[in-house]
Amino acid sequence: MDENNSCGYKNGLLPECAPLAMAYVPMQQSVKPMYNTAQALSSGTLFPGLDLPFMNMVNTGDLTGTPLGEVMALDFVAHELALYLDTHSDDAEAFEIYKNVLSLASTAKEKFVKLYGPLTKQDLSQAKSYTWLKNPWPWDYCGKTEG
Amino acid sequence: MFIYQKKLQYPVKIANPNPALAKFIITQYGGPDGELGASLRYLSQRYSMPYPELKGLLTDIGTEELGHLEMVAAVVHQLTREMTPAEIKKAGFEAYFVDHTAGVFPQFASGTPWTAATMQVKGDVITDLSENMAAEQKARSTYDNILRLSDDPDVNNVMKFLREREVVHYQRFGEGLRIATEKLDSKNFYAVNPAFD
Repeated sequence: MDENNSCGYKNGLLPECAPLAMAYVPMQQSVKPMYNTAQALSSGTLFPGLDLPFMNMVNTGDLTGTPLGEVMALDFVAHELALYLDTHSDDAEAFEIYKNVLSLASTAKEKFVKLYGPLTKQDLSQAKSYTWLKNPWPWDYCGKTEG
Repeated sequence: MFIYQKKLQYPVKIANPNPALAKFIITQYGGPDGELGASLRYLSQRYSMPYPELKGLLTDIGTEELGHLEMVAAVVHQLTREMTPAEIKKAGFEAYFVDHTAGVFPQFASGTPWTAATMQVKGDVITDLSENMAAEQKARSTYDNILRLSDDPDVNNVMKFLREREVVHYQRFGEGLRIATEKLDSKNFYAVNPAFD
Protein backbone atom coordinates (compact mmCIF):
# COMPACT_ATOMS: atom_id res chain seq x y z
CA MET A 1 0.00 0.00 0.00
CA ASP A 2 1.13 3.49 -0.79
CA GLU A 3 1.22 5.28 2.55
CA ASN A 4 0.80 8.65 0.87
CA ASN A 5 -2.76 8.03 -0.05
CA SER A 6 -5.76 7.28 2.04
CA CYS A 7 -7.53 4.78 -0.21
CA GLY A 8 -7.76 1.10 0.74
CA TYR A 9 -6.75 -1.87 -1.38
CA LYS A 10 -10.21 -2.10 -2.87
CA ASN A 11 -9.86 1.45 -4.26
CA GLY A 12 -7.87 2.71 -7.20
CA LEU A 13 -6.70 5.97 -8.67
CA LEU A 14 -8.66 8.23 -11.03
CA PRO A 15 -7.52 11.44 -12.74
CA GLU A 16 -8.31 14.52 -10.69
CA CYS A 17 -9.68 16.39 -13.69
CA ALA A 18 -11.02 13.74 -16.02
CA PRO A 19 -11.93 14.87 -19.56
CA LEU A 20 -15.52 14.16 -20.60
CA ALA A 21 -16.67 11.45 -23.00
CA MET A 22 -14.27 8.76 -21.79
CA ALA A 23 -14.71 5.70 -19.58
CA TYR A 24 -12.48 5.50 -16.51
CA VAL A 25 -11.65 2.33 -14.63
CA PRO A 26 -9.43 3.27 -11.68
CA MET A 27 -5.83 2.05 -11.87
CA GLN A 28 -5.01 -0.66 -9.31
CA GLN A 29 -2.64 1.15 -6.95
CA SER A 30 -0.36 -1.61 -5.77
CA VAL A 31 0.49 -5.26 -6.32
CA LYS A 32 -0.17 -5.76 -2.61
CA PRO A 33 -2.09 -7.11 -0.81
CA MET A 34 -1.92 -10.51 -2.54
CA TYR A 35 -3.51 -13.84 -1.64
CA ASN A 36 -1.24 -16.80 -1.03
CA THR A 37 -0.75 -19.15 -3.97
CA ALA A 38 -3.41 -21.70 -2.97
CA GLN A 39 -6.06 -19.06 -2.27
CA ALA A 40 -5.27 -17.25 -5.53
CA LEU A 41 -6.04 -20.36 -7.61
CA SER A 42 -9.23 -21.22 -5.73
CA SER A 43 -10.48 -17.60 -5.84
CA GLY A 44 -9.62 -17.05 -9.50
CA THR A 45 -7.53 -13.97 -8.70
CA LEU A 46 -4.32 -13.10 -6.87
CA PHE A 47 -5.75 -9.79 -5.70
CA PRO A 48 -8.27 -9.52 -2.83
CA GLY A 49 -9.36 -6.11 -4.16
CA LEU A 50 -10.55 -7.77 -7.39
CA ASP A 51 -12.18 -10.79 -5.71
CA LEU A 52 -15.86 -9.98 -6.31
CA PRO A 53 -17.96 -13.17 -6.16
CA PHE A 54 -21.57 -13.62 -7.33
CA MET A 55 -24.16 -14.13 -4.54
CA ASN A 56 -21.35 -14.89 -2.13
CA MET A 57 -20.53 -18.11 -4.03
CA VAL A 58 -16.92 -18.48 -2.94
CA ASN A 59 -14.55 -21.29 -3.87
CA THR A 60 -12.75 -22.69 -0.89
CA GLY A 61 -10.46 -25.65 -0.55
CA ASP A 62 -6.81 -26.11 -1.36
CA LEU A 63 -6.08 -27.43 -4.85
CA THR A 64 -2.33 -27.36 -4.29
CA GLY A 65 -2.04 -30.67 -2.42
CA THR A 66 -0.72 -32.51 -5.51
CA PRO A 67 2.30 -31.83 -7.74
CA LEU A 68 -0.08 -30.84 -10.58
CA GLY A 69 -2.08 -28.56 -8.28
CA GLU A 70 1.13 -26.88 -7.17
CA VAL A 71 2.17 -26.27 -10.79
CA MET A 72 -1.29 -24.91 -11.66
CA ALA A 73 -1.30 -22.52 -8.71
CA LEU A 74 2.21 -21.15 -9.33
CA ASP A 75 1.54 -20.77 -13.08
CA PHE A 76 -1.71 -18.99 -12.25
CA VAL A 77 -0.03 -16.54 -9.87
CA ALA A 78 2.67 -15.88 -12.48
CA HIS A 79 -0.02 -15.17 -15.09
CA GLU A 80 -1.92 -12.82 -12.76
CA LEU A 81 1.32 -10.91 -12.12
CA ALA A 82 2.03 -10.77 -15.87
CA LEU A 83 -1.37 -9.17 -16.56
CA TYR A 84 -0.73 -6.69 -13.74
CA LEU A 85 2.73 -5.90 -15.16
CA ASP A 86 1.27 -5.38 -18.66
CA THR A 87 -0.46 -2.29 -17.25
CA HIS A 88 2.11 -1.51 -14.46
CA SER A 89 5.41 -2.20 -16.21
CA ASP A 90 7.34 0.24 -13.96
CA ASP A 91 6.35 -1.53 -10.73
CA ALA A 92 9.74 -2.90 -9.58
CA GLU A 93 8.28 -4.63 -6.51
CA ALA A 94 5.79 -6.55 -8.66
CA PHE A 95 8.54 -7.55 -11.08
CA GLU A 96 10.70 -8.95 -8.24
CA ILE A 97 7.73 -10.99 -6.98
CA TYR A 98 7.07 -12.15 -10.56
CA LYS A 99 10.64 -13.38 -11.03
CA ASN A 100 10.48 -15.27 -7.73
CA VAL A 101 7.19 -16.96 -8.70
CA LEU A 102 8.59 -17.93 -12.12
CA SER A 103 11.50 -19.59 -10.38
CA LEU A 104 9.21 -21.50 -7.97
CA ALA A 105 7.01 -22.57 -10.90
CA SER A 106 10.02 -23.85 -12.78
CA THR A 107 11.09 -26.00 -9.80
CA ALA A 108 7.53 -27.35 -9.31
CA LYS A 109 7.33 -28.26 -13.02
CA GLU A 110 10.61 -30.16 -12.91
CA LYS A 111 9.26 -32.19 -9.99
CA PHE A 112 5.97 -32.87 -11.81
CA VAL A 113 7.63 -33.86 -15.08
CA LYS A 114 9.87 -36.40 -13.32
CA LEU A 115 6.87 -38.03 -11.65
CA TYR A 116 4.17 -37.89 -14.33
CA GLY A 117 5.61 -36.96 -17.71
CA PRO A 118 5.97 -33.93 -19.97
CA LEU A 119 3.97 -30.70 -19.71
CA THR A 120 5.50 -29.32 -22.91
CA LYS A 121 7.40 -30.92 -25.77
CA GLN A 122 10.57 -29.30 -24.42
CA ASP A 123 10.33 -31.61 -21.38
CA LEU A 124 10.95 -34.58 -23.71
CA SER A 125 14.63 -33.63 -23.99
CA GLN A 126 15.20 -35.66 -20.79
CA ALA A 127 12.66 -38.45 -21.51
CA LYS A 128 13.55 -42.09 -22.29
CA SER A 129 10.78 -42.44 -24.91
CA TYR A 130 8.05 -40.39 -26.58
CA THR A 131 5.90 -40.09 -23.45
CA TRP A 132 3.96 -37.12 -24.87
CA LEU A 133 1.10 -39.47 -25.77
CA LYS A 134 0.78 -40.94 -22.29
CA ASN A 135 -2.73 -40.73 -20.75
CA PRO A 136 -4.42 -38.91 -19.13
CA TRP A 137 -4.92 -35.85 -21.32
CA PRO A 138 -5.99 -32.69 -19.49
CA TRP A 139 -9.68 -32.91 -20.43
CA ASP A 140 -10.09 -36.58 -19.47
CA TYR A 141 -11.99 -37.34 -16.29
CA CYS A 142 -9.41 -38.30 -13.67
CA GLY A 143 -11.63 -38.91 -10.68
CA LYS A 144 -9.84 -38.23 -7.45
CA THR A 145 -6.48 -39.53 -8.62
CA GLU A 146 -3.57 -37.43 -9.77
CA GLY A 147 -3.60 -36.57 -13.44
CA MET B 1 3.95 -19.06 -32.04
CA PHE B 2 2.09 -20.99 -29.42
CA ILE B 3 3.37 -23.85 -27.25
CA TYR B 4 0.83 -26.27 -25.77
CA GLN B 5 1.02 -27.08 -22.07
CA LYS B 6 -0.47 -30.47 -21.28
CA LYS B 7 -2.51 -29.22 -18.33
CA LEU B 8 -5.56 -27.06 -17.65
CA GLN B 9 -5.35 -23.62 -16.04
CA TYR B 10 -7.68 -24.84 -13.25
CA PRO B 11 -8.69 -28.47 -12.57
CA VAL B 12 -11.88 -29.89 -14.12
CA LYS B 13 -13.07 -33.06 -12.36
CA ILE B 14 -16.81 -33.60 -12.84
CA ALA B 15 -17.87 -36.65 -10.80
CA ASN B 16 -21.43 -36.96 -12.17
CA PRO B 17 -22.23 -36.86 -15.90
CA ASN B 18 -25.23 -34.61 -16.59
CA PRO B 19 -26.03 -33.79 -20.24
CA ALA B 20 -28.81 -31.42 -19.16
CA LEU B 21 -26.12 -29.03 -17.83
CA ALA B 22 -23.94 -29.48 -20.92
CA LYS B 23 -26.84 -28.17 -23.06
CA PHE B 24 -26.37 -24.62 -21.77
CA ILE B 25 -22.72 -24.65 -20.64
CA ILE B 26 -21.77 -25.23 -24.31
CA THR B 27 -22.64 -21.56 -24.86
CA GLN B 28 -19.41 -20.54 -23.10
CA TYR B 29 -17.56 -22.64 -25.69
CA GLY B 30 -19.10 -21.24 -28.86
CA GLY B 31 -21.91 -18.92 -27.80
CA PRO B 32 -22.30 -15.15 -28.33
CA ASP B 33 -20.23 -14.30 -25.23
CA GLY B 34 -18.16 -17.49 -25.05
CA GLU B 35 -14.47 -18.21 -24.85
CA LEU B 36 -13.93 -18.90 -28.57
CA GLY B 37 -15.14 -15.42 -29.48
CA ALA B 38 -13.12 -13.94 -26.62
CA SER B 39 -9.84 -15.53 -27.69
CA LEU B 40 -10.30 -14.67 -31.38
CA ARG B 41 -11.43 -11.13 -30.56
CA TYR B 42 -8.33 -10.31 -28.49
CA LEU B 43 -5.80 -12.21 -30.55
CA SER B 44 -7.14 -10.58 -33.74
CA GLN B 45 -7.26 -7.06 -32.31
CA ARG B 46 -3.56 -7.18 -31.37
CA TYR B 47 -2.31 -6.32 -34.83
CA SER B 48 -3.78 -2.83 -35.00
CA MET B 49 -2.75 -1.84 -31.47
CA PRO B 50 -0.06 0.88 -31.58
CA TYR B 51 1.15 0.63 -27.96
CA PRO B 52 3.30 -2.18 -26.47
CA GLU B 53 1.24 -2.33 -23.25
CA LEU B 54 -1.86 -3.15 -25.34
CA LYS B 55 -0.06 -5.61 -27.61
CA GLY B 56 1.09 -7.43 -24.45
CA LEU B 57 -2.29 -7.29 -22.71
CA LEU B 58 -4.25 -8.58 -25.72
CA THR B 59 -1.71 -11.35 -26.31
CA ASP B 60 -1.74 -12.47 -22.68
CA ILE B 61 -5.51 -12.28 -22.13
CA GLY B 62 -6.22 -13.79 -25.59
CA THR B 63 -3.92 -16.69 -24.77
CA GLU B 64 -5.58 -17.19 -21.39
CA GLU B 65 -8.98 -17.31 -23.14
CA LEU B 66 -7.73 -20.24 -25.24
CA GLY B 67 -7.06 -21.97 -21.92
CA HIS B 68 -10.62 -21.16 -20.81
CA LEU B 69 -11.96 -22.56 -24.09
CA GLU B 70 -10.21 -25.81 -23.20
CA MET B 71 -11.64 -25.78 -19.66
CA VAL B 72 -15.23 -25.27 -20.87
CA ALA B 73 -14.71 -28.08 -23.41
CA ALA B 74 -13.44 -30.34 -20.59
CA VAL B 75 -16.60 -29.58 -18.56
CA VAL B 76 -18.88 -30.41 -21.52
CA HIS B 77 -16.85 -33.51 -22.38
CA GLN B 78 -17.05 -34.85 -18.82
CA LEU B 79 -20.74 -34.00 -18.40
CA THR B 80 -21.56 -36.05 -21.52
CA ARG B 81 -19.39 -39.12 -20.89
CA GLU B 82 -20.92 -42.63 -20.94
CA MET B 83 -24.42 -41.44 -21.86
CA THR B 84 -27.11 -44.03 -22.67
CA PRO B 85 -29.92 -43.30 -25.15
CA ALA B 86 -32.37 -43.30 -22.23
CA GLU B 87 -30.31 -40.69 -20.37
CA ILE B 88 -30.00 -38.58 -23.52
CA LYS B 89 -33.80 -38.53 -23.88
CA LYS B 90 -34.37 -37.82 -20.20
CA ALA B 91 -31.95 -34.87 -20.29
CA GLY B 92 -33.51 -33.44 -23.46
CA PHE B 93 -30.10 -33.78 -25.14
CA GLU B 94 -31.43 -35.36 -28.39
CA ALA B 95 -31.05 -32.30 -30.62
CA TYR B 96 -27.36 -31.86 -29.80
CA PHE B 97 -26.73 -35.62 -29.79
CA VAL B 98 -28.04 -36.34 -33.28
CA ASP B 99 -25.83 -33.63 -34.77
CA HIS B 100 -22.65 -34.07 -32.69
CA THR B 101 -22.95 -37.33 -30.64
CA ALA B 102 -20.71 -36.60 -27.61
CA GLY B 103 -18.36 -34.31 -29.56
CA VAL B 104 -17.71 -30.73 -28.44
CA PHE B 105 -19.05 -28.28 -31.05
CA PRO B 106 -18.89 -24.46 -30.77
CA GLN B 107 -22.51 -23.36 -30.57
CA PHE B 108 -24.89 -21.11 -28.62
CA ALA B 109 -27.11 -22.65 -25.92
CA SER B 110 -29.88 -22.24 -28.52
CA GLY B 111 -28.02 -24.41 -31.05
CA THR B 112 -26.90 -21.60 -33.40
CA PRO B 113 -23.33 -22.35 -34.56
CA TRP B 114 -20.53 -20.02 -33.41
CA THR B 115 -20.33 -16.94 -35.59
CA ALA B 116 -17.78 -14.16 -35.96
CA ALA B 117 -20.79 -11.82 -36.08
CA THR B 118 -20.74 -11.90 -32.24
CA MET B 119 -17.33 -10.20 -32.06
CA GLN B 120 -15.65 -7.17 -33.57
CA VAL B 121 -12.21 -6.03 -34.64
CA LYS B 122 -12.66 -2.34 -35.42
CA GLY B 123 -9.02 -1.36 -35.76
CA ASP B 124 -9.57 1.64 -33.47
CA VAL B 125 -7.90 1.66 -30.04
CA ILE B 126 -10.70 3.20 -27.96
CA THR B 127 -13.41 1.29 -29.81
CA ASP B 128 -11.75 -2.10 -29.48
CA LEU B 129 -10.94 -1.65 -25.77
CA SER B 130 -14.53 -0.51 -25.12
CA GLU B 131 -15.78 -3.62 -26.94
CA ASN B 132 -13.53 -5.79 -24.77
CA MET B 133 -14.75 -4.25 -21.53
CA ALA B 134 -18.34 -4.92 -22.64
CA ALA B 135 -17.39 -8.46 -23.72
CA GLU B 136 -15.96 -9.26 -20.28
CA GLN B 137 -19.17 -8.04 -18.63
CA LYS B 138 -21.31 -10.12 -21.03
CA ALA B 139 -19.27 -13.22 -20.26
CA ARG B 140 -19.49 -12.47 -16.53
CA SER B 141 -23.30 -12.20 -16.76
CA THR B 142 -23.43 -15.50 -18.65
CA TYR B 143 -21.45 -17.24 -15.89
CA ASP B 144 -23.80 -15.62 -13.32
CA ASN B 145 -26.75 -17.15 -15.19
CA ILE B 146 -25.05 -20.56 -15.39
CA LEU B 147 -24.46 -20.42 -11.61
CA ARG B 148 -28.18 -19.69 -11.12
CA LEU B 149 -29.12 -22.81 -13.10
CA SER B 150 -26.47 -25.38 -12.10
CA ASP B 151 -26.48 -27.17 -8.77
CA ASP B 152 -23.43 -29.37 -9.43
CA PRO B 153 -20.56 -28.27 -7.14
CA ASP B 154 -17.87 -29.73 -9.43
CA VAL B 155 -19.22 -27.69 -12.36
CA ASN B 156 -19.81 -24.56 -10.28
CA ASN B 157 -16.25 -24.45 -8.93
CA VAL B 158 -15.03 -24.16 -12.53
CA MET B 159 -17.73 -21.61 -13.46
CA LYS B 160 -16.89 -19.44 -10.42
CA PHE B 161 -13.20 -19.46 -11.37
CA LEU B 162 -13.95 -18.50 -14.98
CA ARG B 163 -16.41 -15.80 -13.87
CA GLU B 164 -13.80 -14.22 -11.60
CA ARG B 165 -11.34 -14.11 -14.50
CA GLU B 166 -13.83 -11.89 -16.41
CA VAL B 167 -13.77 -9.41 -13.51
CA VAL B 168 -9.95 -9.31 -13.52
CA HIS B 169 -9.83 -8.91 -17.32
CA TYR B 170 -12.34 -6.04 -17.13
CA GLN B 171 -10.01 -4.25 -14.71
CA ARG B 172 -6.99 -4.81 -16.96
CA PHE B 173 -8.77 -3.65 -20.12
CA GLY B 174 -9.93 -0.58 -18.20
CA GLU B 175 -6.32 0.11 -17.23
CA GLY B 176 -5.34 -0.46 -20.86
CA LEU B 177 -7.84 2.21 -21.89
CA ARG B 178 -6.32 4.56 -19.33
CA ILE B 179 -2.84 3.94 -20.73
CA ALA B 180 -4.15 4.59 -24.26
CA THR B 181 -5.89 7.84 -23.30
CA GLU B 182 -2.77 9.09 -21.51
CA LYS B 183 -0.98 8.90 -24.86
CA LEU B 184 -3.76 10.80 -26.65
CA ASP B 185 -4.74 14.46 -26.67
CA SER B 186 -6.91 14.92 -23.57
CA LYS B 187 -8.55 17.97 -25.20
CA ASN B 188 -10.02 15.65 -27.83
CA PHE B 189 -9.51 11.90 -27.52
CA TYR B 190 -11.28 11.41 -30.84
CA ALA B 191 -9.21 13.76 -32.98
CA VAL B 192 -7.46 10.82 -34.66
CA ASN B 193 -7.36 7.01 -34.57
CA PRO B 194 -3.80 6.27 -33.37
CA ALA B 195 -4.03 2.82 -34.92
CA PHE B 196 -4.39 4.34 -38.40
CA ASP B 197 -3.60 8.06 -38.55
